[in-house]
Amino acid sequence: MTTLTHRRLSRNVLNRLIDDAPTNPPCLTDDHRRSLSARFRAVASVEHRRLDAWMVERAGQPFDAFRWSPTTAKRVVGNAALRHSINDPTLTRFDAVDIELTDQLLRVTSGYARPGSLASYLAQSSPAVLGLVSAEAANWTTQLGEAAESIAAPWSVATSDAYYDVARARTTLRGRRDLIIPRGLSRILLRVRAGAPGKSAGPGLRADLTIDALAEPTGLAAARVIGLWPEAGVVLSVDGTMEDLRRGARDLVRTAVASQRRTLLRAA
Amino acid sequence: MTSLLDESPVSVMDVLRGERATRPLANATAAAGLRALLEDGLFELLGSDLLETPLTLRASSLRPGPFVNDPSLATLAQVRGILINEALRLMSVGLDVSDVYGEALLAWRADVGSNEMTNYVDQLDDDERARLATDVTAHGVTLKRSLGPLSNRWLPRTSFRAYQRLAGGNVVLRDVIDLMVGTTTSDVASVALLDVTTSPLGEGAERIMRYHALVQTLRTSIAPLRTSMFSTASGELWSIDVDDELLTRSVADVLEVVSRMVVPA
Repeated sequence: MTTLTHRRLSRNVLNRLIDDAPTNPPCLTDDHRRSLSARFRAVASVEHRRLDAWMVERAGQPFDAFRWSPTTAKRVVGNAALRHSINDPTLTRFDAVDIELTDQLLRVTSGYARPGSLASYLAQSSPAVLGLVSAEAANWTTQLGEAAESIAAPWSVATSDAYYDVARARTTLRGRRDLIIPRGLSRILLRVRAGAPGKSAGPGLRADLTIDALAEPTGLAAARVIGLWPEAGVVLSVDGTMEDLRRGARDLVRTAVASQRRTLLRAA
Repeated sequence: MTSLLDESPVSVMDVLRGERATRPLANATAAAGLRALLEDGLFELLGSDLLETPLTLRASSLRPGPFVNDPSLATLAQVRGILINEALRLMSVGLDVSDVYGEALLAWRADVGSNEMTNYVDQLDDDERARLATDVTAHGVTLKRSLGPLSNRWLPRTSFRAYQRLAGGNVVLRDVIDLMVGTTTSDVASVALLDVTTSPLGEGAERIMRYHALVQTLRTSIAPLRTSMFSTASGELWSIDVDDELLTRSVADVLEVVSRMVVPA
C-alpha cells in the first residue's frame, strides 16, 4: 500500500507532516543496489541515460532539448539566493539574488564556467533578460523562503540534488530536493514544484525518495518526501518505506524501458 | 477601507501597502467556508458526473461578453498587455527600463522562446510594429510614473500563477497575479495583489479583482489584505480591501460564470 497523502496548503500543514513522519526509515543494502543495476543493464542503451522524477511523471516521453531561460534558471539561482540570505540575515531576498547572479558572472570572468552552463548563459544575456532572471529567481526564493519560515524544526537548503550513477548500466539518476529537515539519523526532504500536481505526481515523489536513498552512502532512506506546489496550494507526501522505495525503483526502470522503446521506434 | 481613485495616485505602491498600523489580523478561517460554498454550488450546477473536459476559468472569463480563448487570435492589444507585464517585472527588480518596448520584447522572447504570439509579432509589418512600439512606450511611461518605489522587503513576486481544482477536477480556476507583495506568514494580513491592465477600467474590473482575492485565499488559506487593479491606459487605480463579503461575492461570480459555461446563452 502506498503512503501517498494529499493535503491543502495551510499554516501548519508542513509542521504536521514533519512531526508525523515515520521514525525508522529502512536502509537500501548492496543487494538492492546490485539488483537495480542488473535491471537497468537489461535495458540496453547506446547513449548515457539520465533519469529523474520529471521523466517518471512523463512516462519517459521525449521533451524539447533543455535550454536556459529565466524560467529554467530560477531554481538554481533561487535556492542559492536563499542560502545567501540564511548566511547573512541582513540581506533581503532580492539582494541575495543579486549576489548569486554576481557570483555566477564572476565564474565566467575568472574562467571557471564551462560552455552551456548557467553562468555562461547569464554572461551572454542582456540586462533585460538578467532582470527577468532576477524576477523569476525572486519569486522562487520567496516561495521557498515562506515555506521554510513556516517550519518549526531546524532546516537547511540542499546544497545540491542527489545524483546516483548506476554501476555498469550507463545510467545516472537525479533526485531533486530543496530543503532538508534533519530527523534523528535520517532526514525529511521538501521539494517545491511549479504548476499543479498531475496524476503522476506521487510516482515522481517516490522516484525522488528512491534516488535520494541510493545517493546516500549508508543507503538510509529519508523518513518522508514532501512535495509542495505553492501555485496550486497543494502538499503531497510519500513516506520512506521499503514498499515506496521498491515502487520508486520499479518506476525508474519502467521509465528507462519506455524511453528505450520510443528511441527504437524512432530509429525504425 | 476602500480606495477608489479617479486620478493617478502619487504612487500605486503607496495605496497597495497602505498604513501598516491599520492592517487587520490575517484571516485564516475564511478559505474552508468559501471552498464549501463553491463545492455546493458547483454540485448543483454540474452534478456528480465527471466532465470529459474540465471547465477552466480565468480572470478574463469574468469580463462581460463571449468567452474567447484562442491564441491564434493574437492582437496588438494582447501583445501590448504581455509587454507591459514584462516591463512591470523588470521594474519590480529595480531595473531602470529606459526603452520599454525593446527591453520588454527582449525579456519576453528570452522567456517563452518561440510561440504563436511571438510569431505574430515577427509577422507584423513596419507600420504595425511602429504602432505597437509607440503604444507600449506610452503605457510603459504611465506605469513607470505611477508605480512608485518598490521595496525589496515587501517580497514582490511577479506573474504569479495560481490553480485551484474544484468539483473533483470538473472546474479549474486559473489565475495570474501581475504583482503580489507581502507575506502569508505574518500574523496580520499583508498580501496585496495588483493586476496591471492596458485597457481602461470598466465593467468587470471589480469582479476580476474579487476573483484574484478568492483564488489567492483558496490557494494559501489566508485571505489577502487588498486587491487592486491599475490601468496604464487611464492611470486609474482601483483598490479594495478584502473582507468576507467580497470573497462571498466572488464565489457568486464564479458560480454565475460556470452556469453560463454549462448553458451558453
